Amino acid sequence: MKRSLYALLVLLLGSAAFAQTTITVAAGAVGQELELTRAAAQRYMEQNPGVTVNVLETPDLSDNRLSVYLQLFEARSPEVDVFQIDVIWPGDLAEHFVDLYEYGAREVADEHFPAIIENNTVDGRLVGIPWFTDAGLLYYRTDLLEKYGYDGPPTTWEELTEMAQTIQDGERAAGNPDFWGYVWQGNSYEGLTCDALEWVASFGGGSIISPEGVITINNPAAIDAVELAASWVGTISPNGVTSFGEEEARNMWQAGNAAFMRNWPYAYSLGNAADSAIAGNFDVSPLPAGPGGSPAATLGGWQLAVSRYSANPEVAADVALFMASYEEQKIRAVEGSLNPTIMALYEDAEVLEAVPFFGSLYDVFINAVARPSTVSAPDYAAVSRAFYTAVHSVLTGTETAADAMAIAEADIQDITGLETGAPTAD
Amino acid sequence: MENANGLEAAASVTPTPKRRPPSRLVRVEQRTAWLLLSPTFVILAVIALYPFAQVVYSSFTNAKFASSTETRFVGLDNYRALFAFTIKELPPRLDEDGEPVLRDGQVQYESWVSVLPRQPQRFRQVFQFSLLGKRYVLGAVSAEFIRAVWDTVVFTVVAVFFETVLGMIIALTLAGNFPGRGLMRAAMLVPWAVITVVSARIWEWMLQPTRAGLFNTVGSYLGLSEGRTDFFGNPTLQLPSMIMMDVWKTTPFMALLLLAGLATIPSDIYEAAKVDGAGPLRRFFRITVPLLRPTLAVALIFRTLDSLRVFDIFQVVLGNQRYSMASFAQDMLVSRRDLGMSSAASMVIFVIIFVFALIYIRMLRVDTR
Repeated sequence: MKRSLYALLVLLLGSAAFAQTTITVAAGAVGQELELTRAAAQRYMEQNPGVTVNVLETPDLSDNRLSVYLQLFEARSPEVDVFQIDVIWPGDLAEHFVDLYEYGAREVADEHFPAIIENNTVDGRLVGIPWFTDAGLLYYRTDLLEKYGYDGPPTTWEELTEMAQTIQDGERAAGNPDFWGYVWQGNSYEGLTCDALEWVASFGGGSIISPEGVITINNPAAIDAVELAASWVGTISPNGVTSFGEEEARNMWQAGNAAFMRNWPYAYSLGNAADSAIAGNFDVSPLPAGPGGSPAATLGGWQLAVSRYSANPEVAADVALFMASYEEQKIRAVEGSLNPTIMALYEDAEVLEAVPFFGSLYDVFINAVARPSTVSAPDYAAVSRAFYTAVHSVLTGTETAADAMAIAEADIQDITGLETGAPTAD
Repeated sequence: MENANGLEAAASVTPTPKRRPPSRLVRVEQRTAWLLLSPTFVILAVIALYPFAQVVYSSFTNAKFASSTETRFVGLDNYRALFAFTIKELPPRLDEDGEPVLRDGQVQYESWVSVLPRQPQRFRQVFQFSLLGKRYVLGAVSAEFIRAVWDTVVFTVVAVFFETVLGMIIALTLAGNFPGRGLMRAAMLVPWAVITVVSARIWEWMLQPTRAGLFNTVGSYLGLSEGRTDFFGNPTLQLPSMIMMDVWKTTPFMALLLLAGLATIPSDIYEAAKVDGAGPLRRFFRITVPLLRPTLAVALIFRTLDSLRVFDIFQVVLGNQRYSMASFAQDMLVSRRDLGMSSAASMVIFVIIFVFALIYIRMLRVDTR
């Protein structure tokens, strides 16, 4: 009798403790991200009946998302347990996250791209488990290229400018006054740093700060690159591109109102969805190169990190590792064309069938240009801000490219105290 | 010190002879009053005084937001950075022969980047102006803050002006007796009832830079534009767009206050004036305006102070393209993580708003009424 009572008590206490575990995941909502994360949370809950996983929707623009996170960190809030963090944040935010190596990440870490694991490791602590990686791609309309007699996607920016203009003129004459040649991300935010880094790097203008810690942004190639981009605004790109983020560009593209788009891989599966006006009529290629340069794609991507202020870090870490596991990354790759960070998935037949370019553009993902977040840590956010503000002022016509790059150089020097110099050829 | 102690001692032993000692009843009542007020004082101290003191304190430090880095006392450095400005002459750009470079008949000037000082602090351009045939540049260390203050003041003055005029027209219309008056009054309030962030998003969609937006669609059908006007990206259209959104949103509030004021004016004054032969215009300026002045003062103070604190529409629509004073302080705090500078900026905003309030109270003599 006594024993059965005791057992009952244990059962009650145990289940009560279990039923109380709620894990909140702060996740992105760009494209299908939110639906995919919710579905993953559902699967986790089915396997772990004692845990409730809530998914918290966060702002689309990464700068705004960072603001939300920082407010939670300042308050040491246990409200959010798992954070989706950008590839450039581990250095700045490491102090707010637990070391995932202490929660069982050691066994899975070497399945992921070593470069990303290294990026997420701060002072030997793994602060985030890689979730998906990103690289800038050129989306192009296969039907329109054929219609205007082009054999394939442009390989230089000059070609892109010319092709975009021709197609835009043709489509406008054919009765679509809302048609534009090229859409991209020109708002004053982190996304512009990504786009502009691609222009600059593909012109042979370096990567803002070299890995050796030399500020290289103020050079003729970089100035030419930014100048070219500014010339697109109002000609082949809408004036409003200076307030475009990823989703604004994708909406225009997916409505069939653009010939080319620069975006991340997530736009691929959405572009082929049933409600897309351009399903089956587009493909992706590496971004074009500048004169004397080679194509460059900015490395992006998101990690899952567990808050140090979480009430249940063990369960939270388990959720994070579950969501970044082989099976889950495979679902996200097939359904959402989100690049896996697990190398073996790039050889998985089902993944390659759903997203063929994961195979054909594998080199683009491997060789993507990293933003200078490591060399400028913990001030990367300020450096990036100085850069995109300067580029944005050229796009809106308030500064010349030469002045803007000089301003950016001086700003970055004030922030980091690093030396300035010319970019080294790679 | 000695003096004060002496007084205190005297007061405790014998009451000062000049003042009559309060009766026991008064003392008990006073004690009760303090007791009853104390929860209010405690709450005020916790929710107003403490945070305020905290902001004052951190404005003198280099505290970093959401970080455990060590905080240092920096004295007035943050304030100095906010206010430091300089004016420099821009020399004309010369070609190889030493002649000024002309473009479209206009003299070209050197870039401000090479003219404004870099050491010990970086100065940036706020704006350029011409005076007596020379070109000058106003540079500031916190150019964005100076611009934010200027933009906010312009925004406030223009928006509150339009809100007052339109609000008055609406209030006068709705004060009349006509069928469906109740419905009209309710309908008028709709914009005010919409949450600002939501209405900002609605306007953002209506003002989209393509023909997906209402204004560009209508504009292109009417032949006013090509349907590509970028209301939020074009620097000259940013403030007018913000003002338009704010006027739409807060005119109802103005109208409501004025309507309440109109209701307090007795109708027999108007009748008397009418009998004496005063026309409608005269009645408006001689009766309505003077009698409405206290209400107008309150409405103006409310709206002006509210406008000076504008945050949501700037933050939602313009992000970090352009700031109001409040969105600058917020951006400084959460994006740039500079708690010290953000606090200093907040203190400056506080002082600016305080000055506006004082001017209003003096000008409209609210205190004496």
